[in-house]
Amino acid sequence: MSEVHLLFHQPIADHSFSADRSLLAVSRDTKTVTSVDIAPNTRRIVTCSQDRNALVWEPSPTGWKPTLVLLRINRAATHVRWSPDETKFAVGSGARVIAVCYFEGENDWWVSKHIKKPLRSTVFSLAWHPNSVLLAAGSADAHARVFSSFIKGVDQRPEPTVWGERIPFNTVCGEYINSSGGWVHSVAFSPSGNALAFAAHDSSVTVVYPSAPEQPPHAVLSVTTQMLPFVTLCWTREDQLVAAGHDCHPVVFEGNMGGWRLAYSVDDPRKSAGSGASQESSALNMFRQMDLKGKSSADDTNLKTIHQNSITILRPYEGRAGNVTKFSSSGVDGRVVVFSVKS
Amino acid sequence: MATINYRLIDVDALDPESAFPAELLTPPCDPIPTSEIQSLATHCRQLLQRGDQEAALVAALENVPYGGDEQGKELHLGTVLEILSSIKAVEMSPLLGRLYASPSGTELLDVLTKYLYKGMARHNNSASSTSTPGVSSHATGVSSVSGAREYGVAPGRGDGGGMSVLLSWHEKVVEIAGTGAIVRVMTDRRTV
Amino acid sequence: MVSRCRFNQISGGGVRVQASNVSSTATFHENWENTKMSQSLRPYLKCVRSSLTAAITLSNFASQTAERHNVPEIEAAKSPEVLLNPLTVSRNENERVLIEPSVNSIRVSIKIKQADEIEHILVHKFTRFLTQRAENFFILRRKAVRGYDISFLITNFHTEDMLKHKLVDFIVHFMEEVDKEISEMKLFLNARARFVAEAFLTPFD
Repeated sequence: MSEVHLLFHQPIADHSFSADRSLLAVSRDTKTVTSVDIAPNTRRIVTCSQDRNALVWEPSPTGWKPTLVLLRINRAATHVRWSPDETKFAVGSGARVIAVCYFEGENDWWVSKHIKKPLRSTVFSLAWHPNSVLLAAGSADAHARVFSSFIKGVDQRPEPTVWGERIPFNTVCGEYINSSGGWVHSVAFSPSGNALAFAAHDSSVTVVYPSAPEQPPHAVLSVTTQMLPFVTLCWTREDQLVAAGHDCHPVVFEGNMGGWRLAYSVDDPRKSAGSGASQESSALNMFRQMDLKGKSSADDTNLKTIHQNSITILRPYEGRAGNVTKFSSSGVDGRVVVFSVKS
Repeated sequence: MATINYRLIDVDALDPESAFPAELLTPPCDPIPTSEIQSLATHCRQLLQRGDQEAALVAALENVPYGGDEQGKELHLGTVLEILSSIKAVEMSPLLGRLYASPSGTELLDVLTKYLYKGMARHNNSASSTSTPGVSSHATGVSSVSGAREYGVAPGRGDGGGMSVLLSWHEKVVEIAGTGAIVRVMTDRRTV
Repeated sequence: MVSRCRFNQISGGGVRVQASNVSSTATFHENWENTKMSQSLRPYLKCVRSSLTAAITLSNFASQTAERHNVPEIEAAKSPEVLLNPLTVSRNENERVLIEPSVNSIRVSIKIKQADEIEHILVHKFTRFLTQRAENFFILRRKAVRGYDISFLITNFHTEDMLKHKLVDFIVHFMEEVDKEISEMKLFLNARARFVAEAFLTPFD
């Protein structure tokens, strides 16, 4: 069964649970805060907003203490995520740059380094590789890219991966585009980090399996769906991921290097008949609706899904990486819902 | 020298960083000569005459002249519309079902949806270019009775037939390929 | 709400009474047309509905060109990559809908059926009445796009405040009602014209 929390009647742009699930941070669009992320271990919260700023909130005895981050961007900040080792975070922006931020002890300040090339448009989303060096970004120029965010003095030299071996800052380790174009709304590394999934505005989900540095990938598998575009992705297992977006309910994709397919819908509107019972309509009225408005069902204000508007963010909720059993979603309708995945 | 009005210079346009690369907006496609499209049209027409509408439609949708010039694209649109109007209403859904089940099914129906929208847009362009002053004066909100007079004589009611074919095809395509097909018509920079 | 706005005062303006319109065949013609209309109206509205549903997939998007601004990209048109291909849905050459989508806003323009001069004037007066009160209608654009009678501008803030499927319903409902409204007004105008003509001509009888 899924838990539904209607927090307020305003859009939720992003949400994040703390490690023990006792704390939930949400960002509301009224303050133009576009994204929020809680670091599980240090319990630091980072937020970013359309006023070009990012803040790190640290827990202190007197409450949360904000520190402004030196982002050096001149357009809206769109998305922020902590690296898995929690020493860095990355901020995507409308200034065609990604600011990779780290703490400089001697100045007692969060400073940033910019990834610039070859971004040509607003960055919609970011995702970290488990090794905290590789960073994936999806942007409005219809590309999903994988960058290195290796910062000397902060990061240890990472183990070689399929994405690359010696990778200085701003190395482009992969660049992918969809045939039918469309802005890349969401990117996500698989739990092992050896595959990258991205969702574009052409209602597709694409999974990329790279082979070796500088080599063409093993497979680029695209699933084009009949639905409206997806805006957020969440891997649950190495062979399963959840996507959600403008259709207001999540769907599960399953597959491997041989191919991916849409497996089933979570909270499928076609199966839930609950809200339909209250509607009584005469046959005449039904046919008149069909004839005049071109729609088949009687007048319905509520959607049959739990979310009543687009879903903005999916996050793992329960289970460890590679075996997530529950995930949470937040939407424009002000709801945060926890769903479970069929095992 | 003093004629340059510096206030009117668009500084953003001069910044090479800010310009969005044109090749992303219009992806490069190999140019296709109109003669090739013409021969494809003849091929499709032969298939039609043999009564094999499905093969004709597949042939037309598989060889989309993305790289063709305006004239060639217009020609191919005519071919597709001719095939579409030759197919009976009862045969639409089964045919689309078979197309969608084929390996490249989604692409075929996406292309078909592009042609449906182009077909609906084409008639308007020709219509607005024939009845010029009435439409434009009305659009700016300074309508006059003299401009309106053309509406009294013009309305062609016979033209609705072509649209209703496209509209019923559209309905059937969306039933099978979903709203995703419409989304892809909007996002795809490769226009037909 | 929209459909209830009436223009009783309209015939006081610049409408000239034409003898050919004052006949009983006009009513017959209207009825015949209405039955024919509902047959082809259904696929038209269904197509508009699915196209709108696909287009109203908006997200919050801050301007890339103007610092700390958040503007409807379809109106600003400063970043070509966030604009999508426009869609046209048409029922015949006199009735069509243009949908211009972008990342955070869409523009929907409607060309309303105008079979003759009277309908043209009625449509003009009707849309003018609405656009002058645009702020009360939230999604109505103050000025119609060139070549169309009325335009709506829907931004991500509208889809956040209102349910997006109800916005689609509203536009489809509007399109359905506006035809009916114009036909009704025309009938009303004809009846009034007949009455005026009779009253005016009685002394010469």
